[in-house]
Amino acid sequence: MTSTEEQRGAVIDLNFPRQTLVSLLVFAVCWEALSHAAPYFGIPPFAIPSFVKIAQAIAHITPVDIAVTLARVIGALIASFVLGVSLAMAMYRSATLDNYLHPMIRILMAVPVVSWILFAVLWFPGVEFRIGFVLVVVCGPVFLVDTLDAMRGVPRELRQMMQSFRPTTLQYFRKLILPAIVPTIFTSWKVNISLAIRVVTIAELVGAVTGIGHQLSVAQELFSVSDVFAWTIVLVALLFLLEALVARVEARLLRWRT
Amino acid sequence: MRPAPPPTPPHKGKGSSGGPPPIEARGLRKVFRQATSGQAVVAIDRLDLDIAPREVVAIVGQTGCGKSTFFDLMIGLEAPSEGTLTIGGRSPHGNFDFFRGRIATVFQQDRLLPWRSALDNARLPLELIGLPEDQQRERALAWLNRLGLGNFTNAYPHELSGGMRQRVAIARAFAVEPDILLADEAFGHLDEVTAAELRETFLKLARECGSTAILITHQLEEAIGVGDRIVVFGKSAKLLADIHVKTWPKSKYGVLREAIQATLQSNRPDPRLHDPRPAVGKNKPRKGARLSK
Repeated sequence: MTSTEEQRGAVIDLNFPRQTLVSLLVFAVCWEALSHAAPYFGIPPFAIPSFVKIAQAIAHITPVDIAVTLARVIGALIASFVLGVSLAMAMYRSATLDNYLHPMIRILMAVPVVSWILFAVLWFPGVEFRIGFVLVVVCGPVFLVDTLDAMRGVPRELRQMMQSFRPTTLQYFRKLILPAIVPTIFTSWKVNISLAIRVVTIAELVGAVTGIGHQLSVAQELFSVSDVFAWTIVLVALLFLLEALVARVEARLLRWRT
Repeated sequence: MRPAPPPTPPHKGKGSSGGPPPIEARGLRKVFRQATSGQAVVAIDRLDLDIAPREVVAIVGQTGCGKSTFFDLMIGLEAPSEGTLTIGGRSPHGNFDFFRGRIATVFQQDRLLPWRSALDNARLPLELIGLPEDQQRERALAWLNRLGLGNFTNAYPHELSGGMRQRVAIARAFAVEPDILLADEAFGHLDEVTAAELRETFLKLARECGSTAILITHQLEEAIGVGDRIVVFGKSAKLLADIHVKTWPKSKYGVLREAIQATLQSNRPDPRLHDPRPAVGKNKPRKGARLSK
């Protein structure tokens, strides 16, 4: 990199947080102003709490609920990933299996999350199983479809080259297909993290007695907008954190690209 | 920097006679059905061809004449529609696994795995054969050195130039120390100077290894410079001419080139291929040049 390019990069890096900070500041100022001006607009006092109230609510966040939600998300994502990739490998190798399973997968993916939650609540007595079930049935097909598409997208030239050296099936997967689809797997994880957090929140709202979703339900019953605000901030922070983690691992594994 | 000494000659106990087996095509025919129109395309139409062990053969032909299809059949990726193609009596498609470690291919694009370094790319086929890891590294390093890439063994493909990537691909093929070496327009994407250099190295190494080498090319200069024999394919891999280059004196290479070109253009054997030395027995067919009907 020439010195001008380096300088330009540094300047851009400095500007980015500045612009973000400005936007956030503007939003904060407007919110606080509205909060104080609320009575004059006939808005009930609980609807737009001031930042003081919000800060108090954040101070009352229970880490246990965060841990519980996180555990459910991560556990279910790992299970979905293993299931999704295994099934994708089987479907990649067997056209018959693919023909039978593909329509079912499409139907599963079309069912709304809310329906799954209601099914889970009505079918299963165990809370953890319900939430795990909903997460896996929503995230699993996403991993499956992404992985299968990526496997089919491995360039024909590379597949032919590999075949010409006569690998066993295991070698073919381990040395060509799986490494080739790593970039797609990372993208799929990022999408699924976002999806999983949304789904777990609703699932906990409806059918759990612990977790962030449950706390949101409690906040709603108490008409506490500041609590909803606080827990929402936690959710957003969690999403950013998990995505950053995946990005870190991705950067490490995809070093060869730079 | 002096290149490393060549690896010790391979243990050729793989073939029954200790060398590469002969290649034989009899009535070889390959028909494809077009996916869209359902029309049948005859890529290879009843080809008879013999390639002796350790021969270096160049296959020349225009685009679409069936060279690449013949190649796919040789590698074993496709099966013939009719007829047979055997290597030492075995079919590369039917006895696919038998040829592990016995056939290696250099393709037109380098086809390196982008996530592996040059060294790891070169030792890929050795991993598949199941050599111990230290032997894999030793062999791959030796061949990379031989091809002048000793300082780039840890570089990733995107860090290498096109010529260097192709050299890694060549090292990968030679590391196998195969009986049969296939090169499909392997030097086509390179500039003339690099191509000529690599071609020379390739041939030298092939002869050292004692492999049978088949090079597909559409460049006549390459075909003439390459080897023992030039096989000219017409449409649907029709055998138009089979030339033993040694029977042509260097001074007559221009004539040879023109004759091959005329053959390709007219899709019929040029009479000049009948007799490379017009001064000697005009009417007697040279044993080096064979015409098909």
